[in-house]
Amino acid sequence: MSGATLGRGINAFKEVIDAPTAAFFNSCVHCGMCAESCLFFTETRDPKYTPVHKLEPLRKTWWQEYTFLGRISKALGLSKPVTDEELTQWETLVYDSCTLCGRCSMVCPVGNDLTYMIRNMREGMAASGHAPEGLIGATKRAVTIGSPMGVKLPALQAQIRHTEEEIGMTIPVDVEGADYLCTLSSMEIMNFPEFIGAIAKIFKQAGVSWTLSSEAFEATNSGIQIGVSEIAAELVERIVTVAEKLKVKAVISPECGHAYMAIRWEGPNLIGRPYSFKVVHILELLDDLRKQGRLKTSGKETQRLTYHDPCQIARRGGVVEQPRNLLKMVAENFVEMPDTGTMNWCCGAGGGVSAIERADEVKMKAFKRKKAQFDAIQPDALVSACANCRIQLEEGLEENYMDIPVLSLTETIAEHLVAEPQSEARQT
Amino acid sequence: MTAITNDTEFRRQLEGLDYARQRAAARFIEHVLDLCDDERIGRVAKVAANPNASADELATALHSARAAAIDSHARCGADSDWKEQAGYFVARAATAAVSPEGQVAAGPAWQAAMSSRMAQTSMAIETPEDTAGQERLAQYRILSEFLNA
Repeated sequence: MSGATLGRGINAFKEVIDAPTAAFFNSCVHCGMCAESCLFFTETRDPKYTPVHKLEPLRKTWWQEYTFLGRISKALGLSKPVTDEELTQWETLVYDSCTLCGRCSMVCPVGNDLTYMIRNMREGMAASGHAPEGLIGATKRAVTIGSPMGVKLPALQAQIRHTEEEIGMTIPVDVEGADYLCTLSSMEIMNFPEFIGAIAKIFKQAGVSWTLSSEAFEATNSGIQIGVSEIAAELVERIVTVAEKLKVKAVISPECGHAYMAIRWEGPNLIGRPYSFKVVHILELLDDLRKQGRLKTSGKETQRLTYHDPCQIARRGGVVEQPRNLLKMVAENFVEMPDTGTMNWCCGAGGGVSAIERADEVKMKAFKRKKAQFDAIQPDALVSACANCRIQLEEGLEENYMDIPVLSLTETIAEHLVAEPQSEARQT
Repeated sequence: MTAITNDTEFRRQLEGLDYARQRAAARFIEHVLDLCDDERIGRVAKVAANPNASADELATALHSARAAAIDSHARCGADSDWKEQAGYFVARAATAAVSPEGQVAAGPAWQAAMSSRMAQTSMAIETPEDTAGQERLAQYRILSEFLNA
């Protein structure tokens, strides 16, 4: 991110214009369907939030550099080059009002992957010095400290000690030969440390061999959010190195949307080689344990529960059925929202938006779409599987005077585990 | 005469309290109240401590506690400030203490106790001091006094 200049940004634009991107720009029929799929547009009706419009500087670069007419226009001075002022104007469109949720890519009638292009466009925005301060700070901390929120090992160790005391179990750390390496998001460590206890209890009951790592506990990847592939690759490599060192069979991505996208889907391409282990989302693993009869729950929630699909886990990650299978185990009165699963509406805070303070107003406007979904079914409680979604949902509900608790799916499952005999509980 | 000396006994005693008496958790919150600078939490603790609090008062207190927790959580991607985070956990303790019956799976009083300890853990996250351990002992004493009163 150092030495960012307009020239570097334009070069980065040129580099990310690959064959799919060129084909996408060439095939856009200007139908506007992507607009109606984007919650920033639907909740503001401001045409600047049309997804394909957010790509305009990248499209202009493609046209000027890689099309016959565009090159002539540029040479004759008929088409002006992309400027710093233009990128300053687009910064809020590319970062503050796009959660990389992928809904626009789902509806494009010619199959353009707009999310892929916005993700790539951020490479040029960051290289030109047009990334938001919040994301720059988070990315610097991720590189230097190992966590975008500056969570250091002593903090994790303190949370582990607290959890061990609370649940009366030992949390395994740096165990070589464990089957699973579990990663965590800083949001879980700071805001929802109960998640650590929940997985410990579940894994104990199911007999899962697992470990945390003191060297690479952070699951999130702000390199992807800001759009700096070198950093994204470095963050992935840290997890890969530890997974290989501990000789685990699989890495567990926690209740975090983009962390799963980063390590599961983008990771191998970022580091340029396949993994020697599998990557599973925590919900995939829990559902596998359910299928194998290793997850035993008792009792059911009687309140009207619904599930919010985190975009990177469901739409872009394919984990749709698993949470519903798990909810069937513990919820008597589960109800789906309209537009759910792969077509769910984003909470409004993903893709780095929540790290950008100036985006608070627009992300709350975007939340109105989520509110409409809740209004349609009137749930007593919400369940989700992403710490960032949980926070945005809580904030949005509070802002809209809606008194609905937001629960973690993993923690809800843990609360319904068949109780162990009291004698096994450890005395403090 | 009850004298609690470990978590197993502590939890067993809390679980033995009926819903109204679970609000003894207010005493745990009062013990860590100085870690939270949100004035709403002091008022919530007072409501929780009142055995005659009405359903409306409890609902208002719950709303205040939740709002305080939402206002004080760590922002995604923001630089961690564990001292501020202590206030968040005190607000969560207060939320648990005034939650409706059946809404806190672990039990309101136990959850409030754990969140109060987490507040102390947050305060001392980068020091070797075992403030959470001290808080645990204080909670044993507080509950023992409550049960013996």
